[in-house]
Amino acid sequence: MSDLLNIGRTGLNASKKSLETTGHNIANVNTEGYSRQRVNQTTNTPITKGGTIHGTGVRVKSVTRINDDFINKRLQKSITNSEFFEQRMDRMSQVESIFNEIDSEGLNQVVNKFFNSFRELANQPENETIRSVVRDQANLVVQDFRRINENLDAISSGIDANIKTEVIDINQTAEHIASLNKKIQSLEAVHEEVGDLRDQRDLAIRKLAESFDVNTYVDSKGKYVVSAKGVGTLVTGTLVQKLEVGTRNKEDSANGLAGSAEIYFEGKPAFPLTHKFKGGKLSSMIKVRNEDIVEVKTKVNHIAYNLSKSVNAIHRRGYVNRSLTKDEAGNVSSVDNKGLTTGIDFFKEPTSEKDAALNMDLSSAVKEDLSNVVTALSPNAPGDNRVSLAISKLQHERILGENETTLEEYYLQTVGKIGLETGKARLDSEQSEGLKAQAIGLRERLVGVSIDEEAANMVRYQHAYEASAKIMQTADEMFKTVIGIKR
Amino acid sequence: MSRVSENSSTAALKFSLGKSKSKLENLQMKGSTLKDITRPSDNPISNVEALSINSRVNDNKQYLRNSDYALLHLNVTEKSLEQLTDVLTKAKEIAISQSSDFYNEDVRKNVANEVTQLKNLALSISNKRVGQKYIFSGYSTLTLPFESTGEYKGDKGHTTVEVAKDFFLPINLNGYEVFYSSDDTSDKNVDPLKYVDPSKSQENQEAPVQSRELASVNNDKFEKRDNIFAQLESLAVALETNDSGLIQNLLEEFDDSVSRLITLRTRIGSITSSVMNSKSRLESENIDSAERKSKLVDADIAEVFSDITKHQNVLKSTYQSSQGLINQNLMDFLR
Repeated sequence: MSDLLNIGRTGLNASKKSLETTGHNIANVNTEGYSRQRVNQTTNTPITKGGTIHGTGVRVKSVTRINDDFINKRLQKSITNSEFFEQRMDRMSQVESIFNEIDSEGLNQVVNKFFNSFRELANQPENETIRSVVRDQANLVVQDFRRINENLDAISSGIDANIKTEVIDINQTAEHIASLNKKIQSLEAVHEEVGDLRDQRDLAIRKLAESFDVNTYVDSKGKYVVSAKGVGTLVTGTLVQKLEVGTRNKEDSANGLAGSAEIYFEGKPAFPLTHKFKGGKLSSMIKVRNEDIVEVKTKVNHIAYNLSKSVNAIHRRGYVNRSLTKDEAGNVSSVDNKGLTTGIDFFKEPTSEKDAALNMDLSSAVKEDLSNVVTALSPNAPGDNRVSLAISKLQHERILGENETTLEEYYLQTVGKIGLETGKARLDSEQSEGLKAQAIGLRERLVGVSIDEEAANMVRYQHAYEASAKIMQTADEMFKTVIGIKR
Repeated sequence: MSRVSENSSTAALKFSLGKSKSKLENLQMKGSTLKDITRPSDNPISNVEALSINSRVNDNKQYLRNSDYALLHLNVTEKSLEQLTDVLTKAKEIAISQSSDFYNEDVRKNVANEVTQLKNLALSISNKRVGQKYIFSGYSTLTLPFESTGEYKGDKGHTTVEVAKDFFLPINLNGYEVFYSSDDTSDKNVDPLKYVDPSKSQENQEAPVQSRELASVNNDKFEKRDNIFAQLESLAVALETNDSGLIQNLLEEFDDSVSRLITLRTRIGSITSSVMNSKSRLESENIDSAERKSKLVDADIAEVFSDITKHQNVLKSTYQSSQGLINQNLMDFLR
């Protein structure tokens, strides 16, 4: 009789525990990273009594979460991938918009107008107004080179700022993982595995995986280790190795800009890790900053440098548009009261290709006096337009590389490449987004809570509970029967 | 059979909704801008080609402007030559009629006045301007080419204009070739880039001409001996002095000048027709370019709008199919 009561009690217990777990699952249906739990129950140890074996009810062995490490790893990798491409798409779209000339004026049109203004000047080389139009157009060219340069630099420094906040996030997440490790260690020393905390840890790892490629394993001492691929360990059990960000000056920077951010382990600025990160947001941003933007800038500088240089080379050969006095031999002096009469630069002569776009400017002679805009190859010839013609012809000359491309072709190749890269990043991003959605779906299908399922279980466990209670009631009535015998 | 959980169905739904919506957004963009490309990455190849077409079209517009300017110049030049021919023909008529001894000294003196008037007329023609430029001064466009003495102050420069890519045409005649009877100085294959070729590096270029052939003292070609003004002057003098022999000698010189002017007018005429031809070429090229560019960047309207309708239906059915998936569960039926 007492064992009947006891069996009923164990059943009651087990069903109640199962109902609790069902409740816990339903309550957490929308908790991020939650994986459903279930009660593992087993029969109690049987006993022998009077030669027969009797069952003693049910025992709750453990509550475990449904989990598949392989699927988790796969999801983590797909997150790392899709973040990499999404970040790349965002940044490259910013770069691309600088060079978007589809319905606005960009460098190509401005330079084209510049050359055409020289053609206009060649029609009327003695016309002061057209001279000033040429100078204004040249100023627009200078401004547009600066605009491109400044916008590219703005994207780079935006990336620097983002790297800083990213590293703060990474450190916080690493701390969080370490404290979870501590809790899990102390709880699991006395209990079964703690599903809820492990879910939280997996979630934190997934958050880390957005920033870079993450590796996790349990070392020989049973400590949970988190490391960044190519960089090193960030968390070992309860210990955290923090990252730090510092800025470099122009000379030591990876991308030739002052204030460029470098990542290193806390207190070790001499060993930068910036370029070592693999995958994820971080390496994507760094790639755009150190490779793509640097390459584009180099090309733009190359154009600015060669444009200035070749226009100057021709411009120097002519004579100013003022009447000059001659000596007996019929030669004009190289200087008059307004300065040089020949050998004048149109643009400020660039010193090096580096920063050529940033430093591009008109020469001071041209800025000061319009008569220094040279059109004539010979002195005292206001109608001589040969220099203007030659400058306008630069537009179609193959002056770049080994005399193989024109300025326009080179610029269009640059824009074409940016377009291709951005388009590719967009496609990659869409594709990796799809793969991530697939991985999330896989995981959710396996470990996600289904309300229908839980509702069915609820009914099941409730019935089991009621039946167990009936058993106890029966035992109670049997007691009463036995006790009633004495009446 | 795989499980379906609450989150897996909402995630699947979100993903497919996101996909249809972004597709629709793209189409909406095309529909509102009517452009197939709104940024370089939409089609890098077309974008680059469209940009270079833009440049070509702008260049051609400039060449058309150059052509119009050249035509203005050429027309004024042509007009002046015509007037000048008239002057000489008139002078020649006078010379012919006065060369015989039919007229007497008094009549000749009266006619001499007329010839002086003709010379002044020739002088005013020689100093014709377009805008601020003297058209017969060569490169010295701001210098008066002929003073009343008939001495040439200009030079032998030919201003060339680019009327189509790499197609240069001279647009002026200098006073030397118009007013002096001499050999043909025309440079039919004028190359304005001879001394400043941008494609060559600086080292292997010849030095530019420091001094041009000016109306310098030691060049007897520019002496007023045998230019149109001198001829008219001589005729006037001959009439004044009643020298019929000199008048007869002048006839040949007038003939030379007139035939030279006719040759020059033919030259101007052929340049003018070259300009006209290149203009019509440029205009048709621009039409082709516009067509090509439209192919590259404009959206196919019919296609875009039928796609929009199609995708709106896709979105609608996504909404409808989601109804049964997320709006109900077992709980609704356990009562």
